[in-house]
Amino acid sequence: MKLSFIGLSRSEVGGFGTTAYTDVFLYLNIQGIEQDKNWVQFNMTYKLGISRLDELIGDIKNGTNIMMIGPPISGKDDIANVIVCQGLLDANAAVIVSTREPGDNVLEWFEHYDPDIPMDRIGIVDCVTRTLGFGAHDTDNIKMASSPVDLTGIGVKISQFLEHFWMEMQLRETRLCINSLSTILMYSNLQTVFRFLHVFTGRMKAANALGIYVIEEGMHDEKTIVTLKQLFDGMIEIREGEEGYQIRAVGFTPKPTPWFDYEIDGANIVLQG
Amino acid sequence: MVETGIPKLDDYLYGGVPIGKTLVYYTYPGVEGVVFGMQSLCHAMSNGTSGVYVASSTEPHRIREQFSEFGWDADEYGDRFTIIDVFSGLIGADSHERYVVADPEDVRSLTQCIKNAMEDLREPGVIVFESLSTIMDLCGESETLDAIEEWNQYAMLYDHAMVYNFTAWPYSDDTLLSIKEDIFDSTISVGGITGNVIFGQYFGVLKANWTDAVRKYILFKILKPGGVRAYIPKILVTGPFDAGKSTFVHALSNRAVSVDRLGTTIALDHGHVDYKGFAADIFGTPGQERFDPIIKLLGGEAMGVFLVLDSTRAEDFARGKQMLEITRSFGLPVVIVANKQDCDGALTPENIRDKLDMPETVLVMPAVAATGKGVFEAFETLIDMVMEVG
Ligand SMILES: Nc1nc2c(ncn2[C@@H]2O[C@H](COP(=O)(O)OP(=O)(O)O)[C@@H](O)[C@H]2O)c(=O)[nH]1
Ligand SMILES: [Mg+2]
Repeated sequence: MKLSFIGLSRSEVGGFGTTAYTDVFLYLNIQGIEQDKNWVQFNMTYKLGISRLDELIGDIKNGTNIMMIGPPISGKDDIANVIVCQGLLDANAAVIVSTREPGDNVLEWFEHYDPDIPMDRIGIVDCVTRTLGFGAHDTDNIKMASSPVDLTGIGVKISQFLEHFWMEMQLRETRLCINSLSTILMYSNLQTVFRFLHVFTGRMKAANALGIYVIEEGMHDEKTIVTLKQLFDGMIEIREGEEGYQIRAVGFTPKPTPWFDYEIDGANIVLQG
Repeated sequence: MVETGIPKLDDYLYGGVPIGKTLVYYTYPGVEGVVFGMQSLCHAMSNGTSGVYVASSTEPHRIREQFSEFGWDADEYGDRFTIIDVFSGLIGADSHERYVVADPEDVRSLTQCIKNAMEDLREPGVIVFESLSTIMDLCGESETLDAIEEWNQYAMLYDHAMVYNFTAWPYSDDTLLSIKEDIFDSTISVGGITGNVIFGQYFGVLKANWTDAVRKYILFKILKPGGVRAYIPKILVTGPFDAGKSTFVHALSNRAVSVDRLGTTIALDHGHVDYKGFAADIFGTPGQERFDPIIKLLGGEAMGVFLVLDSTRAEDFARGKQMLEITRSFGLPVVIVANKQDCDGALTPENIRDKLDMPETVLVMPAVAATGKGVFEAFETLIDMVMEVG
């Protein structure tokens, strides 16, 4: 039996006795709660769903956290959604933290571009609707956070979706997309956001999931970007080229991939060159 | 004493939080700890105590909505309920609350507000912090730790009880340690059982300096409405065919389904009970012998067992005992339900115990599952036994 208790693990908190740990362990043992069958390492991998990039970087191993950074209006929302979409088509679950679009709009995007997408595998943490003053209630797909300030609440809702997909739906592959960190950084200081991400990038590893975190280029100082970069295993970079925007992947292969011009066609990212 | 209103916790703390004392719900990120403070506040206010809520991550009107989602009516508390609004200033919104901290990053103006609110309370009350961690994020770790000591001393002076929600993000080790072990009179750990994901939530007393705290851990679930419920994931209802198992499960449950054919192999009942601060999922096993392996399987994860017997059918008792043995091999608490007490020829519980040849310590309780008589008494008894284990 392999159990760990985040409430009582030394690594996360440090410096307190093991008695409490043993108590919980005993309690659960006595109560016969055995979850070892749920603690399984899978060798699953992920694909972005952006064909040329996928060919060049190969399979992305589970537990990978990726920062996506690029200028405003370069289509980052669509690109993030396409990556999520690829997951849903691969029978993954998806958790999306939406800080700029109300949850309903995000759902609509998926319904619009691919009516065959299984909606019961999408969970959205909506940080917008409540701040607009609507008294909206949670639905199966959407959980309302009070605001982008409430990282504690956002964290609880992400965890609830992860549990639901893992335990009730028995899905073992999940993508988390936070769109965007830039909004969250408007309301909380860097240190606070760093702590939050430190915890959740770790949880993505534990869940063998894939994490995508979107950042607006030009909105943050160099220190912010450098600090956050430490938490990620790779990056998807977008820049403005001579004839529109370009994309590349960094950190998956010894050298970055070349820059590609791209066009967004519905739920497809078409790379040129 | 201010009761926390969290099931079992007041027992473990010998009544609750004494006035002038402090308690922190020390919650791990991703676990729903914020409801603990909210529930303690609303429980105290509905008992007539005055309450102050220090709102640092939610708009005041949303807080009142949250209360009502859990079934707690803020209007009912009248002027016994005050909010210190440490949130609106952050997003530049107007506030109509009595106490407003214009600059939430300034810990001294927060301290001033808290002192004012404490002075204004006419009698001992309870001050609950929605999120101490948010305050710490805004004001800094050491500044906040210093301020907490000041607030706590003031509370002692005015005989108020202090209750803090704290999320243990990876702050410095010193900060976490002093919150967990030093600056509060009691610490309640609100944690998660993790594998690949958090698949269960529990709480337990880590420390309480006014008593020898009971160090037990309780699994919980958050219900809407309802709030924090001690949670028992699996209680088994077993017994011979036709004894009244399905009837018993339905009589206990708020929601229940009976699946007469799941696939083609089994028939089982599943119900969810929400009763007096406890939530439980109960599973009825099929009675026929060919299903014994399934009972074994179900029994493996159960926390307690009901054996339902038809009190008029002594000839089935041996079979009942056999079914019990299948589950008892796992050492679970058991209550025997002497069902169909309304029928002619029903044996008394004592009689049944003799016929089963069971020791005095085994509880046999009378019931009429068809009318619901005795079923909740049996439930409470089993819950107590389950909670005593561990
Ligand atoms: N008179 C009486 N009949 C009962 C009682 N409990 C259950 N029954 C009846 O006994 C029969 C069997 O009940 P059921 O719950 O299906 O038994 P199961 O096979 O153990 O699930 C049904 O006809 C019920 O209506 C009771 O307390 N009194
Ligand atoms: Mg039945």
